[in-house]
Amino acid sequence: MSVLKIDTSDKHIISLAAIVGGPRSILFKKADLLAYDCDGFTIHKHLPKAVVFPKNTEEVSKLVKYCSDHGLPFLARGAGTGLSGGAIPVNGEVIISMVRMKKLISVDLENRRAVVEPGFVNLKLTNSISDRGYYYAPDPSSQYCCTIGGNVAENAGGAHCLKYGVTTNHILGLEVVLPNGDIIEIGRNGVLDEPGYDLLGLLTGSEGTLGIVTKITVRILKNPEGKQTVLAYFDKVEDGSQAVSDIISAGIVPSALEMMDKTAIEAVEAAAFPVGHPKDIEAVLLIEVDGIAAGIEEQINQILEVCKKSNVREVRAAKDEAERGRWWANRKTGFGAMGAISPDYLVQDGVIPRSKLPEVLKKIAQISEESGLRIANIFHAGDGNLHPLVLFDARIPGEIEKALEAGSLCLKACADVGGTITGEHGVGIEKREEMRFVFKEEEILAQTNIREVFNPDNLLNAGKLFPTPGRCVEIKKEMKV
Amino acid sequence: MITNESLTEFKAVFKDSQISDKDDQHPLGNTGRVMVFPKTEQEISAILEYANTYKNTVFIMGGGTKRGFGGLLEKADILLSLAQYTGIVEHNPGDMTLTVKAGTSFQEIQTYLAPYKQKVPLDPFIPEHATMGGIVSANDSGPKRLGYGSARDNVIGLRMVYPDGTLIRSGGKVVKNVAGYDMNKLFIGAMGTLGVVSQVTVKLRPIAQYESILFVSFSERSVEEIRAFASKVLDSMIEPISLELLNPSLAGKLTNINQYTMLISFEDVKSSVQYQENVIKSIVPEKTTLRSLSQNEATSFWDDFYHHQPNGIANITTTQAVLKIGVVNLDAIKILQEAELIADACHVSIEAHGGLATGICHLTIRGAAEDIVSVIRHIRKSAKKHGGYAVVKHLPFSLRKEMNVWGEKTAAHFLYEGIKQKIDTNEILNKNRYVGGI
Repeated sequence: MSVLKIDTSDKHIISLAAIVGGPRSILFKKADLLAYDCDGFTIHKHLPKAVVFPKNTEEVSKLVKYCSDHGLPFLARGAGTGLSGGAIPVNGEVIISMVRMKKLISVDLENRRAVVEPGFVNLKLTNSISDRGYYYAPDPSSQYCCTIGGNVAENAGGAHCLKYGVTTNHILGLEVVLPNGDIIEIGRNGVLDEPGYDLLGLLTGSEGTLGIVTKITVRILKNPEGKQTVLAYFDKVEDGSQAVSDIISAGIVPSALEMMDKTAIEAVEAAAFPVGHPKDIEAVLLIEVDGIAAGIEEQINQILEVCKKSNVREVRAAKDEAERGRWWANRKTGFGAMGAISPDYLVQDGVIPRSKLPEVLKKIAQISEESGLRIANIFHAGDGNLHPLVLFDARIPGEIEKALEAGSLCLKACADVGGTITGEHGVGIEKREEMRFVFKEEEILAQTNIREVFNPDNLLNAGKLFPTPGRCVEIKKEMKV
Repeated sequence: MITNESLTEFKAVFKDSQISDKDDQHPLGNTGRVMVFPKTEQEISAILEYANTYKNTVFIMGGGTKRGFGGLLEKADILLSLAQYTGIVEHNPGDMTLTVKAGTSFQEIQTYLAPYKQKVPLDPFIPEHATMGGIVSANDSGPKRLGYGSARDNVIGLRMVYPDGTLIRSGGKVVKNVAGYDMNKLFIGAMGTLGVVSQVTVKLRPIAQYESILFVSFSERSVEEIRAFASKVLDSMIEPISLELLNPSLAGKLTNINQYTMLISFEDVKSSVQYQENVIKSIVPEKTTLRSLSQNEATSFWDDFYHHQPNGIANITTTQAVLKIGVVNLDAIKILQEAELIADACHVSIEAHGGLATGICHLTIRGAAEDIVSVIRHIRKSAKKHGGYAVVKHLPFSLRKEMNVWGEKTAAHFLYEGIKQKIDTNEILNKNRYVGGI
């Protein structure tokens, strides 16, 4: 216990501080809490009751037990990069920040696994093992600062998940603090197919509503021997979309297949990493193939051939690693680049069957026209994951509401062609209502029933993921304030 | 208990060809007093709703290959067979997704996809009888899991009929999806205890242009040498689709060389496959024999491989068991070695293979019933010692009652019970089929 005295009479704050070792490990003053009133989804804000910084699983368990025993709502937070509001304390939660639990516990290259604490930063894992030729595959754009614990909660994706899968495909084991404070281990020792329902798969992507992950065993991969990237410019979006389909149909499994439309190109060219994309094209494709070096040239030639058949204006392979790096920097900073052409933007995250791309893009153009807001499109075209970026100016009264409405309509367009409302950003508070675009009432109930098994008092991250029955209109209104 | 009135009601609703009250006996158990063959999802739903109302127990069956896998009740009131609920529902070649009805056999699906140069990237045993619903429910996988993943990596959507007859969809038709809980995962491997899988949507993969298998046989039974070589392969940049160790008796049966044999398979463009074969050739240790099979020869090997295990529809002459063991990847070598020792000591024969980058091992044990039981207990102890588990995938009903086929309960068991209770409150579906008697 620290000798520092805690400046509050709130008995809960005093008790929580005692669990984590004193006032240095807790924030509770309004000025300190402001930084925690939202995450990467900044439209909706709410102050937490406190933010605590545990150092180990036992402290997390004690914090959870305390909150649970005293009916205090609580939630876990990593780096706060989530884009759907999963870590926003909408009920004035006690935020359990995992940033002090940031150790790389062990690496076992022979058995291709590593064990990390939840606060360990995604990219640091790859950096820690790259000298020995290994890497961790899931690569969300925020990987330089987002935590693996947060990745598990959101089932994070990334540009390269087309070939290698999303976070859930790389998680072998978890230590979890349940909402009652119990500590359980699932996927013990990272052994596959442990008998019992697949809680590993269920917890990954549950947006922090079923438990708090305190230790993670991940799969690591050997670096591919070779890698080559192709850039292709198209005068028509339809031709670009056709090329995407034809590449996949040709039996090629690219490690990444990215597309940007005209508005997105305008933004990335006006931002920090321009590469000289022509301003008058309608679509640029970035296609990456990796694997055995001996097989790559053959695949690249096939890709060039396919692009030519689809009326490509210009197509070429990166001449060196530096050029490849520039292309990726240009693409990976695409969201932020919107700042160069618009004061504010809203990112959406729909997914569609690849073949519906032209149809959905047309619909989005129509939504843009009707709302009077520009919409840029950046997407993981290979797996049909669209990120429409709705550009707006929050200073103009009514524009936030208009942007939210346009974003929601984009998701409706995705759902209507057999797609879904989120591919990697999660539902959070942002897309609760849109869940109804894809699920019937009884299907939502089937999911909340599962939540009840883990989180019967709904004190852990309540109000996320699911629309509240009968209260949907009010929520929508509240969200728009 | 199913009554004569129930039977009359079924007969009024279903055609004669869809119902059978023969009251079959089977040494593997998992039978039913009445067998019903729904042809539609609505019929599946109606049967479950009926059973749930009258608290009739229901067992679910596809091709019957997994009849010996779990189950402590010999007979249910109703045996729901999906044998007549088959066919492709939707195939989008451009999106590389496929939706099939649960009763469709794996082989039928692959045959349908072949002209499109596409495949479902799973490799179940007995593919001509194993159904998609069964593969998903038992989370069955083979050596190619290393390259392509298992059902949990490739299934993107399910239509489930819940015990009360409600239809619940999970996932969807897109390859990336984080809307809501990943309920697919809950149903995959749940052994039919949470609902009847009605339709399965999977991601497809292109059929590789070229495939080959290398067999590296070790003349000396040196486990250290096998491990060192496996490490070398894993640390190289080659990308095998499977890296499996066969024990001498399985290698003898499938390749005629009675030695520990490492099976390394490749599927890619020809130049890449040949390059990788050359890498292996350059690093194989001394005192090993190297052979290779390519294209049709490789396919024909795999065909034998997927039929080497006993299963629920093969003729049963001797007592046989199949054990699935999960350990940390390279510990698979230790499990195979210990199986060799125990086989000699207990007078049973064991054919075994283990994935060196997955840690999943399969042991086929043949011998006297009491010897098999003691071998299973011994192997389970040894799997536990290595931080893993052992599950009995195939065993006659009489022996299943004697031993815990799933192993001990874990600290998470109360959650499994909670989930089962929420979904199947009356415990009608595949009662006592799964871990801890769920």
